[in-house]
Amino acid sequence: MNIDAFTQILETYGAVEANWPEESRAACRQLTATSEEAQQLLRQFMLLEQSLDALDPPHFPGLETRILHQALPPQQLSLSDRLINWLIPKSGSPLSLWRPTLAACLPLVFGILVGNLTDLGAAQDSSEYQYWDDELIMLSFNDYSDSEYLP
Amino acid sequence: MTDEELMLAVSKGDQSAYQTLVSQHLNAISHYAFRLLGNRKDTEDICQEVFLKLWTNASKWQPEKAKLTTWLHRITHNLCIDYLRKHGRTHTSDTLDIGAAEHLLETPQSDEQNESIAIDEKQRVNHAISLLPETQRSALMLCHYAGFSNKEAAAIMNVSVKALESSIARARRSLRTQLESRDLHSTAMKPASGEINSEEKAETIG
Repeated sequence: MNIDAFTQILETYGAVEANWPEESRAACRQLTATSEEAQQLLRQFMLLEQSLDALDPPHFPGLETRILHQALPPQQLSLSDRLINWLIPKSGSPLSLWRPTLAACLPLVFGILVGNLTDLGAAQDSSEYQYWDDELIMLSFNDYSDSEYLP
Repeated sequence: MTDEELMLAVSKGDQSAYQTLVSQHLNAISHYAFRLLGNRKDTEDICQEVFLKLWTNASKWQPEKAKLTTWLHRITHNLCIDYLRKHGRTHTSDTLDIGAAEHLLETPQSDEQNESIAIDEKQRVNHAISLLPETQRSALMLCHYAGFSNKEAAAIMNVSVKALESSIARARRSLRTQLESRDLHSTAMKPASGEINSEEKAETIG
């Protein structure tokens, strides 16, 4: 630790030792114990801190009352809150029931749409259909009066 | 009630919770805004706006990301910086002596001369602070007066910790230089006791 590094620490963290970086504290303490220049520097920064501390905080009489009496605008709600408020309005009117009903129907509509538009992976081979059609036609031509089919 | 509970209540429209939060945070917010703006009227306007934002955006505060005081200081910081930039000001050299002048009026003066010296000293410090660029002044206010850690102050100012530390180091260096140079000329520069006349006091206090 040299005087420049110590100055940097004082400028960055102030004269209060507790605010100095932990890893530098011991070195700083050692420097202030041995160097008169470091002691003088520390005194100067302590005086600066005292001057800053001596400043009176400003008072704003009546400001709190003014803030509390100002007209409050409508609050900005989060997306989820807005959705819930839309779904379950606070009016309590029976007409407002269409919204939750609509929301409840949505999965059903979605299911129907998905069912109509996709085969959900159950792909049918067209040649397989053709094979079954042929089988059915062949069966229809069969003579079932034959004794082989009679009980 | 904790800040989280109060903010939850505010987000649901509870005005008494809002009142509690205003009482708890107004001093810190007004001090910070005043140090940045250096003007009583603007400070009051900004404070009103900060708490309106708290009311309207209560549901947007995320307690896991920042403490409420950090969030409020950030709103204040942004509003003040916007205001200063809009009005083309980066320092507050002409007006930041209100606190000292007010103190002069409010404190009973047992020893007029000592009191005058103390006020002169405060005015010098105030003036030195007011000459700092806004980033340095802001960094100093947040770390020295508001008691934020460097990391929190950096988050409020939306800069890196390194940039914050650089700002605060330059602020302290600058203050030290200014106050030391004034000390050298203090005898020549020091006003006679009670030099702040009544007209000036009335004007500053507004």
